[in-house]
Amino acid sequence: MRYIFATIVQTDTPPVPQTTYVDNSSMLHHMSDALFQSLYRVLSLLIAILPGILAFFVALAVFTVIGVALSALLRRGLKWIKMDERIARERGTADWGPSSSPSALIARVSFWACVLLGLVIGVSAFDASYATAATLPISLLPYLTHAVGAVFLLIAGNLIARYLARTVLIGAVNAQLQYARFLSLGVKWLVLVLTAAMVLDHLQIGGNVVELAFGILFGGIVLTLALAVGLGSRDLVSRSLESHVDRSTEHGGMPLTTPTAGPGESIRHF
Amino acid sequence: MATENPIHETGTTASVAVVSLLVLLPAMPSEQQERVLSNLADVNAALPGDGFLVASPDPLPADAYPSLSITQAPQSNPTWTLTAADFTSAYHLASQSGARAILILGSESASLSPLALRELADAVLAGNADLAVPCYDLPPRAGLVNSAILYPLTRALFATRVRFPLGVDLGLSMRMAQRLATAAQRFTASNQAEAILWPVEEAQVAGFTIREIDVGRRDLPQPAEADFNAVLSRVTGSLFADIDAKAAFWQRARLLPPPRSPVSRGVSSDSSADITPMLESFRFAYTNLREIWSLVLPPNSLLGLKRLTVTDSAAFRMPDNLWSRIVYDFLVAYRLRTINRGHLLGALIPLYLAWVASHINITASGIDGERHIEAVAAAFEADKPYLVSRWRWPDRFNP
Repeated sequence: MRYIFATIVQTDTPPVPQTTYVDNSSMLHHMSDALFQSLYRVLSLLIAILPGILAFFVALAVFTVIGVALSALLRRGLKWIKMDERIARERGTADWGPSSSPSALIARVSFWACVLLGLVIGVSAFDASYATAATLPISLLPYLTHAVGAVFLLIAGNLIARYLARTVLIGAVNAQLQYARFLSLGVKWLVLVLTAAMVLDHLQIGGNVVELAFGILFGGIVLTLALAVGLGSRDLVSRSLESHVDRSTEHGGMPLTTPTAGPGESIRHF
Repeated sequence: MATENPIHETGTTASVAVVSLLVLLPAMPSEQQERVLSNLADVNAALPGDGFLVASPDPLPADAYPSLSITQAPQSNPTWTLTAADFTSAYHLASQSGARAILILGSESASLSPLALRELADAVLAGNADLAVPCYDLPPRAGLVNSAILYPLTRALFATRVRFPLGVDLGLSMRMAQRLATAAQRFTASNQAEAILWPVEEAQVAGFTIREIDVGRRDLPQPAEADFNAVLSRVTGSLFADIDAKAAFWQRARLLPPPRSPVSRGVSSDSSADITPMLESFRFAYTNLREIWSLVLPPNSLLGLKRLTVTDSAAFRMPDNLWSRIVYDFLVAYRLRTINRGHLLGALIPLYLAWVASHINITASGIDGERHIEAVAAAFEADKPYLVSRWRWPDRFNP
């Protein structure tokens, strides 16, 4: 009975506000703890990565400085031994491909080689410190290392595409092919599509989809060009086949000698 | 240590006391060969005391011309112009035979008269000149690359009036031959035996005496290659490279010597020539190569070209100063490698064809062709300060 009374008294007793306060405080405490723990984890991860990032930048900076010094040293050394003059003497006035003098080119290549080496070593150092942090997700790391190669592929592909497009355009214009620009664009996009496929493959993005898409696109462009050239230049093809008999019109361009109306009045360029 | 003399003389040398002139002949058909030898025998007879040593890669009939001493020259590919290999072998043969001078004759030299040969030989044997250059009497529509580019550029930059700077037949003193052989050695050493050399430019830079001799009509040899674009790019590229190498010389102002005599070569042409393919090529190139031209040419030149594209064929005239600026801008771009050099020279071809079309229109209108070429050369001279400025400060003149 006494227990029953006591139970009634306890039931009738209004809820103590203090008890509610204690529950809310605990929840906030838990939330705070969770947040602190998250922050701690983030900071821990950041601290784990920081040496790697630092190593990356230090390696890059050190090798850049080495590259600058080496480049300056090479430039002065090659100037001192008069390498440009020697090469010019040996090669005569033959066309030197790159746009800089040989010594400047060597110095520049050595500088960029050092920078590249710094980049590779930096990425390796970053990779090493990254691997120690076992809690970090490592799914993005391959992209970082592959991205460098992909960028080089992209640059090389663009340069080759531009060079080939110009070569085809000038050659086709001088051969007076009416679809010169179309041909040039076709070649350019052919190389660009190939480059894009190689870059995606290098980054391991897309997998079979990229291969399939590339095959379809590449085949489509080649087929289009083949049809365009085949249908558009039947005369040129027949002239080329006849070139063994008459070589003067082999390329469809300007012949060396053009006959005119008057006797002995042909146009002779040489 | 004695070395074997590579010169094997097959002719009768009894009558030739001292070899004074080496004549280097190219490979040629036997009937042409006989005519050249006959002409040379006449010249030799007219120059008493001078023994001629004739060198040819072909076997020559030694007994037919006892006054000439004959020897075998190294085999070389027959070309339409003189190459580095020709200069090297000429100098070696001359220095081994003790000749005082050299006469190099190009392909189809059978069309040269004995008088022309004699004057060329006499000029270098008498010591009047280090370089004797023939001036040919060509039809008005022949040698157009020479008239459009080679002659005006050489005249404006190297201050010489030599009308045909691209060597086909030449008379050389031994010091000139040595200089050319040294220049040729650079090419032959790098396996470019067929590279073109520019003797007039070499002589000017060395301060040697040049004498130009009127030789009358001659059948100029034509390139064996059928591809006009490749030949034009090769010749123009070679001249541009030579100009680039000699920039320190031509940037100084020099006085042009007075003209030799009134020129009577060019006559206006009455017959009409079909310039339509050339104009079509130019207009087509304008629509397609404008972007590439805009990397090389300033807006003024592009505007001039745009006007030309809409000009009627009959009234088509390319202003002389526009052409000179175009050539100069391409020369600067060649030096700066603004675009790939092969592309650059390829992009010049339609512009050259436009000049040819304009020249043909001008000569067809009754104006003396030679006078027009002289006017073009004068425009190149007048615009030389523009080239020098662009050459020295290319960034200030970026198109």
